[in-house]
Amino acid sequence: MRGVTRPAADEPLPAAGLGRHAVGGLVRALVLPVARGLPWRPLAAGGTLGLLIAAGTRLHSDGVQPWLALLHLRAAALAFGLGLAFLLDDPARHTTATVPVRRLLRAGLRVALVAPVAVAWWGAAVLLVPAEGRPPLGDVTLEVAATAVLALAAAAAAVRLWEEPEPGQATAAVVLVTGVAAPLLMPGRWTLFVRLGVDRWDEAHRAWAWVLAGAVLVWVACTVEPVRRPLGGWSRSSPRP
Amino acid sequence: MTSLGTTPSVPSVSAAGLCLSYGSTRALDDVSLRLGHGVTGLLGPNGAGKTTLLRVLATAVPADRGAFTVLGHDPGTARGRHDVRRALGYLPQTPGFHPDFTAFAFVDYVAILKEMTDRSARHREVRRVLDAVGLSDVRGKRIKRLSGGMRQRVALAAALVGDPGFLVLDEPTVGLDPEQRMRFRELIATAGEGRTVLLSTHQTEDVAMLCNRVIVMAGGRVRFEGTPAELSARAAGRVWSSTQRHPGAKAGWRTGTGAFRNVGDPPDGASLVEPTLEDGYLLTLDASEVAA
Amino acid sequence: MSSTVSSPRTKALPTSTPAGESPRRRLRAVLALARVEARELLLQIPVFVVLCVYVAYVGWELWTGGGEDGAYPVLQDVDRATQPESLFLGVAVLVCVNRAVLRSRRRGTDGHFDVLVMEPWRRTVAHLLSVVPFALATALVVAAQFTGAALKPGAVGTGSFSELAVAPLAVLLLGVLGVLIARLVPSAFGAPLFVVGGYIAVVLLLSSSEDTPWLRWLTPFVDEFQADPLPSDLLGRPAAWHALYLVGLIVLVSCAAVLCGGRRTLPAALGLARAARNPVAWPAVGPARLVKAVALGAAVLTLAGAVGQSRGDSPALLAARKQASVAPEKDHTCVPHGRSTYCAFPEWTGRTEDWAAVVRRVQSLAGGAAGGTKLTVRQRVDARYGLSASATLEPSSTHGQVTVGTRWGGNRVPEFSVGVASVLVAGNEEAAAAMCDGRVVTVMWLALATTSDPMASLRDVRIDDSVSGSAIVLAPTHPLEMTAAQTTVVRELLQRPRYGVTAKVKAHWTELTSPKTSTARAAELLDVPVPKGSEKEDKCEE
Repeated sequence: MRGVTRPAADEPLPAAGLGRHAVGGLVRALVLPVARGLPWRPLAAGGTLGLLIAAGTRLHSDGVQPWLALLHLRAAALAFGLGLAFLLDDPARHTTATVPVRRLLRAGLRVALVAPVAVAWWGAAVLLVPAEGRPPLGDVTLEVAATAVLALAAAAAAVRLWEEPEPGQATAAVVLVTGVAAPLLMPGRWTLFVRLGVDRWDEAHRAWAWVLAGAVLVWVACTVEPVRRPLGGWSRSSPRP
Repeated sequence: MTSLGTTPSVPSVSAAGLCLSYGSTRALDDVSLRLGHGVTGLLGPNGAGKTTLLRVLATAVPADRGAFTVLGHDPGTARGRHDVRRALGYLPQTPGFHPDFTAFAFVDYVAILKEMTDRSARHREVRRVLDAVGLSDVRGKRIKRLSGGMRQRVALAAALVGDPGFLVLDEPTVGLDPEQRMRFRELIATAGEGRTVLLSTHQTEDVAMLCNRVIVMAGGRVRFEGTPAELSARAAGRVWSSTQRHPGAKAGWRTGTGAFRNVGDPPDGASLVEPTLEDGYLLTLDASEVAA
Repeated sequence: MSSTVSSPRTKALPTSTPAGESPRRRLRAVLALARVEARELLLQIPVFVVLCVYVAYVGWELWTGGGEDGAYPVLQDVDRATQPESLFLGVAVLVCVNRAVLRSRRRGTDGHFDVLVMEPWRRTVAHLLSVVPFALATALVVAAQFTGAALKPGAVGTGSFSELAVAPLAVLLLGVLGVLIARLVPSAFGAPLFVVGGYIAVVLLLSSSEDTPWLRWLTPFVDEFQADPLPSDLLGRPAAWHALYLVGLIVLVSCAAVLCGGRRTLPAALGLARAARNPVAWPAVGPARLVKAVALGAAVLTLAGAVGQSRGDSPALLAARKQASVAPEKDHTCVPHGRSTYCAFPEWTGRTEDWAAVVRRVQSLAGGAAGGTKLTVRQRVDARYGLSASATLEPSSTHGQVTVGTRWGGNRVPEFSVGVASVLVAGNEEAAAAMCDGRVVTVMWLALATTSDPMASLRDVRIDDSVSGSAIVLAPTHPLEMTAAQTTVVRELLQRPRYGVTAKVKAHWTELTSPKTSTARAAELLDVPVPKGSEKEDKCEE
């Protein structure tokens, strides 16, 4: 069988000793296959619903008020976040788990591929809201970014904690219940889901920045593959004895 | 139809003229067969239509044409199909599992879907089949914690629960180690006592060791139906050994002793050897290729 | 490994007996599956956590007594208040039951399960039934909430069974919707996105309901931002119709799920699948005709409920509301306590003793004739503009009449004290509303001196929760205004021993209740340092 002949001893193996250039080449080579493997369907469904929700601001009979538009945009962000919860789903996970390319790079590539889509989506969502009803854009963008990264962090945590190749649905369920329950059950003294025009608006958006930073940290922490089994064996992704 | 063997006197399952196409592909082409008690092996290369036949007989998919009965019930009617399913145990080619269920909970779930409603009797039955497949020690473990062989045994237990009269097993021994394979054969042989078992496999040894009847399929058609001995007999006088690969042989390979074993039309004076089931199988496939 | 795979085949085993075609057995199989699925559903993290939080939250409310006016619940409002809290459980059940229905598809057991005796449509029925225990659990929680409120000594009014039924029905509705979504959109992200989309749809319905109130009633439950409780016969909420609407919708959605569950793919549903041209006729799935008939009945029921709940307020109700607002004495039952009379809507007569206690307390501090004045405490509501409209009550011009609202407990008690005191000082509420002189000091001291913590009560009745500077003071009708100087004097008085101040108030009663007395003069009379700038502030704004 010709296909399984070993390469000659003097041929260098492609993955040996990755320099900076080699990483660049690797990323370029991976872009297309990773893009093809992304779960585009949930992303498309979440994104479309998000845009519909944003466009829903135009349905209010007597014009949309900024506070109402804020409600719509938050819901749209949740819809898009639900799509993002599926981002790290990989049916081939058990096959790709042992390749030398790190999980951080593979997952990072997925996020990098979706990032421009997300930015374009957000731009479209904002444009769908009538100009007179738009809430302060910078702050709302911060909220939306934090929501999206929280969803990604949840997806990464699911990958880290479960052996499941496609934990997206469970993640989405948790993100959804959290997203619905948090604004209503959160104690009043925690400022996160403030109403528009309330004096705690700025304070709340400092909190959102912290949430965003925390979510990024969680995402990174959950995406880096552990070399050893953590103490206490809380991780269910560890191999069975 | 090439039927050489003696057909069972009282067939539990009989089919006539089954046809099924997927687009332009004829997966089943006028398949007729009769199965009696005991284990019947279904041999054939990949794409021969084995899985399709099993799915039709297990009422998972209706045939385009043809009719069959299982234990006297006609699955062509709602009532008849229901009765067939009552008497059916099915192990699909890729059995799915609910990984968060325990082995016991999963088989119990299947038992409920088989309409076993008396809770205590059902639990007794689930314990019995798990015990029979040797999983009584791990019945409280979640399926995701079980090894591949154990999962396969869970699937067999799910097929056996409720003591079905007709057992359809689609490649149940794939991916098992030799010891597990032996255990599986033991289980299936026992299951064949007093039941009709139809077993699809790529392994001619499975058939040689287990089955009292064998069906060979290729290209959606039945190419042989008879006993394993009859299948082996097809190669009588057509297997020989030589020191060199014989160019006219249908198949030939060097054995561990260094001599070549050839299957085909022997030259004059060749030193014939005792044929095996596999030789008969290879020659049957070859003949069907020529016929096609 | 045991070598026996089967018991002897002669033994009759449940599935192999051909006789068991009885519908009862088929039903029992569905129930057995529903039980297993319900247990699985309970063990799903979102459902388990939300159920625990829900029960814990309600338990905590029951234990702590539930907020400011929790000790004096109005039962025709309590029944409705049980509804929004069940929403989270409903959402969690929707998402998780959807996951459960899709489980066998996700795990590849569909191929196996479809040839088992129980058909896909009966598995759908089992999933639908697996939601029922959660609706029952909600009913228990709601019953506990309502009973806890009804058993409080301060409870008044009557609850509506239909309003209480809405929370369990909403959970059931969301659950069966989860099953239907799984049967229509067999993919993992259907249900979560449905929830977000549904939420926005409800927001849209609610926001566009200004001119079309019937749209509002299409949502599972309708919350009212109600200012003050109304007598139960003035509510005019079509609760029974709404419950009927929900029941119809639940049955309709369930039937749709069963009908979709029989045919697993859209092409098959459209009759395009191979099975359609199959000479070996694939038997019709389930008693489809019966299910369709039930679905038709449910659609009629839903429509009847929807029409019934959309009819709006009847002329008789509007007339009754107007009478209760304009001429409440026609509806009132009057009860004498001591010298005064207490007139309340029949459901509130049990509360007159609480009002009388406040009146006795305030009146005991008053001097002159006011100490023995006969007061009429009259309960008033303004129901003319419906439930959601909050209207402030106009001050009454009748001499000696004090208005009391329908709420009680918390801040309402010192507010009522202010009302009583201002009528004692000014004669009637209309006159009291125009007060801007030294009498405010007298009123505030009368109202607050006998409370258990006068300074806290002062903070409570002032709208900005302050104890210094000028502020608005809440009263049952028109609020009072307190200047910074008056606040200083009142604060000083409240911090002194009561008996000393009482003697001075009684001694100087006539002057203290005269409109000509300035704040500075009142301070002098009561022996309190005169605050600076009090003269400037004492001008009444005309």
